[in-house]
Amino acid sequence: MKNGKKAVIIGSGLGGLLTGASLAKDGWSVEIYERLSLIGGRFSNIDYKGYQLTTGALHMVPNAPNGPLLTMLKRLGANVTVVPSDPLATIRNPLNPEDEDYKSGYKDIHYLDLTKHMSFKNKAWMAILTFCFNKKLINPGDKTFVTWFSKYIDDKRIVRYADSFAGWSLSLKADEVPATEMLQILENIVKYGGPAMIMGGCSSVISELVRIIESNGGKIYTNKEIVSVNISKGSVESITVRDSTMKDLIKKTSNDTEVKADLFISNIGHKETFDLYEKLPFSPDSGDENKEKEEFNLKYEKYINELKGLKASAGIKISFAADEQLIEHTGVLFTPYARRVCALNSITTIDPTMAPPGKHLIMSHQRVGLDKLDDIESEIELGLEDLKDLFSGKEIEILAVQVHHGEWPVNRCFSGYDIGNKTPYSNLYIVGDGAKGEGGIEIEGITLGVEKALSEINKLYN
Amino acid sequence: MYVNDNCVGCGQCFAFCNQGAIEVFGKARINNLCTNCGICLTYCPLRAIEYVNKNGKGEI
Repeated sequence: MKNGKKAVIIGSGLGGLLTGASLAKDGWSVEIYERLSLIGGRFSNIDYKGYQLTTGALHMVPNAPNGPLLTMLKRLGANVTVVPSDPLATIRNPLNPEDEDYKSGYKDIHYLDLTKHMSFKNKAWMAILTFCFNKKLINPGDKTFVTWFSKYIDDKRIVRYADSFAGWSLSLKADEVPATEMLQILENIVKYGGPAMIMGGCSSVISELVRIIESNGGKIYTNKEIVSVNISKGSVESITVRDSTMKDLIKKTSNDTEVKADLFISNIGHKETFDLYEKLPFSPDSGDENKEKEEFNLKYEKYINELKGLKASAGIKISFAADEQLIEHTGVLFTPYARRVCALNSITTIDPTMAPPGKHLIMSHQRVGLDKLDDIESEIELGLEDLKDLFSGKEIEILAVQVHHGEWPVNRCFSGYDIGNKTPYSNLYIVGDGAKGEGGIEIEGITLGVEKALSEINKLYN
Repeated sequence: MYVNDNCVGCGQCFAFCNQGAIEVFGKARINNLCTNCGICLTYCPLRAIEYVNKNGKGEI
């Protein structure tokens, strides 16, 4: 049943669509504005010569079958088929344990054997630390993962494993992730399950969300850019929407419309949204109550300080084709001894329609340190050299090299440092990879963030 | 078409170019197959592609 209230959503990425679908089902009148011709943000397919590349993601759900995203999709009534990875992962080690690369060959091990090489003492420490964290008997505070972990366990191989895992799943080094976040992620894999590949890839999730939004009366407009978020009396009153079709962009026209609503959700990140509203000289513009103004000023200043601390993660995805399947299973192949590539997967292990007949589509991901952004071409070259080493003697065709950083990053906020969904304005929330929940890898974090925002919204409006 | 400094090399544009006129390697580059059709403009998330006509001006 309709609740008579209107929600406007800026951006049609996964966070915006999940929020929109849920609100539309709850009776809100939902309007989603997307400035591009493409729906789904960085979680969408791109057809290139019959290969289903993506705008960013890796055609994979991190936690199946009971993770946050699949649970929410089920609740929304989305028909999405996933194939749980089996095994979840393998790890490629150098053939000679003393080597630091794959030049003399490699040996793949099952992920459950990742501690096999460890000393008895280190294994015991690992068991103790895991047990204590699960029982909340230990608190690493604000220490980062490797710093914390190395106090108890000295094992270079495990640090490499942790880096390749963090690089693949968060586009960070393990020591850029708070220990609590990393431990929560590992606990969630045990609790919810590990990765699964999505039949049809990212777009099959997006098209289901679009169907749910539209069948519940919601509207999604493409080629409509939000150029300002308009504040009045201490809350958001409207947004200004500008037509951004090909014609508009060529002619640089400014056909603007003001759209009012009760609730505003932004899927474009905290900073990017902040840039859309008028910077007020710390005034809530609501009556003359000094106390109220003072409270707002404090909230606003605190928010600005939080924005200054946000860092976006960077990464490179290389999509390539081969005549034979180079990844032998439906899970993740971690490559901790490669120069840059952290891991790879292949969607055609479960869905051959994602590539032309007889071809396979494989994707690798590598983290890029923020200090390396000035020399991104060298980082790409290192990734390409890795692929040559990993598949030496095999014919591969590079289809696309995609870099994500800055304002179009892997994650708008380093995992573990998200600042929540709230803004200084009570009817404006942020969702997406700039407002993830704890312990959620990528899209799982986005979903946890969306669920948090929805619970706040329910409190506010019910 | 002209690629400005906003480009991060995300590669969202090249697959939509019907002419095969965009190459992406760290940054997008427009080659001489470009017919100035403008379709790439609506796929760039960073407004890194700008319309430039044959006289080097930004509008038709």
